[in-house]
Amino acid sequence: MSADDRAPGGAAGWLRGWRPAVSMASRNLRRNRVRTVLAVLGVCIGVLAVAALGIFGNVLALGADDAIGDIGTQVVVSPNTDAGVESLSDADIASIRRAVGEPAVIPLYSDSATVARQGDQTFATVYGVEEPALAYEAAEGRLPERHRQGAILGAGIAEDLGAGAGDTVEIAGSQVRVIAVLVESQTFSPVAPDDAVYLPESAFSADGYAQALVVSDTGAEARAAADAIREEVNAREDRVELFELAALVDEINEFFGLLSTFLLGLGAISLVVAGVSILNVMLMSTVERRQEIGVMRAVGVARRDVLRVLLAEAGLIGAAGAAAGTLLTVLLVAGLVLATPAVDTALVLDRTNAYYLLLALGFGVGVGLVSGAYPAWKAANERPVEALRS
Amino acid sequence: MSRNRTTDEAEDLAAGRATNGAAADWETSGDSNLADDDYAVALRGVVKRYPSGGGEPVVALDDVDFAARPGEFVAVVGPSGSGKSTLLNVLGLLDDPTSGRRLLGDTDVTSLSVAERTRARKESIGFVFQDFHLLPTLTAVENVAMPTAFDPGDASDRAANLLARFGLGDRLDHEPNELSGGQKQRVAIARSLINEPAVLLADEPTGNLDTDTGEAILAEFERVKAEGVAVIAVTHDPLVEEYADRVVDLTDGVLTGGLPGESDPHADADRRGGRDAGRTAPGPQMGGDRG
Repeated sequence: MSADDRAPGGAAGWLRGWRPAVSMASRNLRRNRVRTVLAVLGVCIGVLAVAALGIFGNVLALGADDAIGDIGTQVVVSPNTDAGVESLSDADIASIRRAVGEPAVIPLYSDSATVARQGDQTFATVYGVEEPALAYEAAEGRLPERHRQGAILGAGIAEDLGAGAGDTVEIAGSQVRVIAVLVESQTFSPVAPDDAVYLPESAFSADGYAQALVVSDTGAEARAAADAIREEVNAREDRVELFELAALVDEINEFFGLLSTFLLGLGAISLVVAGVSILNVMLMSTVERRQEIGVMRAVGVARRDVLRVLLAEAGLIGAAGAAAGTLLTVLLVAGLVLATPAVDTALVLDRTNAYYLLLALGFGVGVGLVSGAYPAWKAANERPVEALRS
Repeated sequence: MSRNRTTDEAEDLAAGRATNGAAADWETSGDSNLADDDYAVALRGVVKRYPSGGGEPVVALDDVDFAARPGEFVAVVGPSGSGKSTLLNVLGLLDDPTSGRRLLGDTDVTSLSVAERTRARKESIGFVFQDFHLLPTLTAVENVAMPTAFDPGDASDRAANLLARFGLGDRLDHEPNELSGGQKQRVAIARSLINEPAVLLADEPTGNLDTDTGEAILAEFERVKAEGVAVIAVTHDPLVEEYADRVVDLTDGVLTGGLPGESDPHADADRRGGRDAGRTAPGPQMGGDRG
């Protein structure tokens, strides 16, 4: 045999060494099936805990995000009365538009009035708005491009009065036809559309706007818009006050992030327990097979290769447990979704959940390798002369 | 020689082959006096001391000179605890001498790194144990090929040929628990020969076998040595002594008759008369008819 023949062939040679190692390892694992199955079960439960709790936390966070989603996308701009600004002028609205760029800016007149229909009456905020379609959606009727006549009712007030599109309501003594009813609002905002009535701007005779809504697509865009308004509109004096919930949404998201981490941590504890059981199984198994390992070393199997066999055993336990745990998680989650109609299937099928499955799978294999490392190293490094001495 | 000289040196050193040209290249001039005899394996003034709990260290081997020629069958006898296993471990590169020199062919293998020793064992030394020590999860042919399992290439054909030579051609895929003691020991011998070693070391090879089976195993050793392998067996079994070309005695770490041709009072009697006497009337007294 020449030196060239013996030279290991780099990565290919490294991989080749694993094939006999995995083959020997799997046979060793079959020798004590009960013990192996129990160790696999430990990892399986650990992986199930990590994956299921991870997905559970994620679905909670996604669900919360879904429910409060719009909160963070609106910025309400009001005149700063402390600085003597009583209303927003056209110039103010123009500078807000310049500052925010993309998001729609909807200036609002505001007043309050009694709204009545067929004996029912209620006290409501009345807004004057020119382009309601930019900020709202109609559940009934149609929102006009330019609001010139008729009233738009919030969902709550329409229900209170039993009014729908086409009906007539009395607002501050005048009969006005209802052209649309808004969808129920998901938004928590000082401009609460559910209990409001929207009229054309021409119905108001005020000098300036009471508020302006900045409607963004995302929370990040809303935050950027708020920052831009602070920097540009309030550059010289604080002309406007801002109300934004993006920061609150951030905190809520942070809380759910923390909750997810906490749940993952809970799952991780069981995975650690599984790791300890692998450690135990591997230590027992290497002690029992001490002579065998000694013989392998004596007849010329290198320490590295003994290490490979034992690491492969631990890795196989980890991989089998992780695969079973992942499969079980998928079944469990599918079962829960089928049994609980309240859970939104779209949230469960969200791609981010797969990340938790992969994470748990990786953890399972990793736990196997880490727990197997010490027994394997110990056994591989024992002097064969000691191991053979019975 | 390649530019990677250090690696080559280590490999030559580990190969431990007298016939290896590279090994001769590696060898320093100071070793020439040790290479004058064509020994397969040799110990020169080897001392092995073990630390004992607090007191004086135990001397397991006391200035031992030993050598075996290729094709020679040497039996090492002596009372229990006399250091026979230590001698075998030192010869087999499983244990290092405290002082003295150890040669494999004409390569000095006194102090090798762990990896070098492992490689030298794989390539130059075969082991046969009293308890056979086959891996229970592997078939006969896999057990024979086990020393090379992690090497490139498939040694299954070679292993199958070896098993066939030892009459186990129909047992290739049997696991050890399906084999008799004698069959297991034959598998173990085949395993020891898979890399065509220069030396075969056997620790009580007949210890767990009945007389007939033991005799059959010793006959296999005769065939092995006929191929130029030096066979060294540690034993209590008089039968082994009968088959041996030379019997050396180890008592309290002191070896007598360790070198071939040394004037050992027992040697000639054992070699010429021992076998016939033993065959007809196996004597319980091991050394009774010597000298």
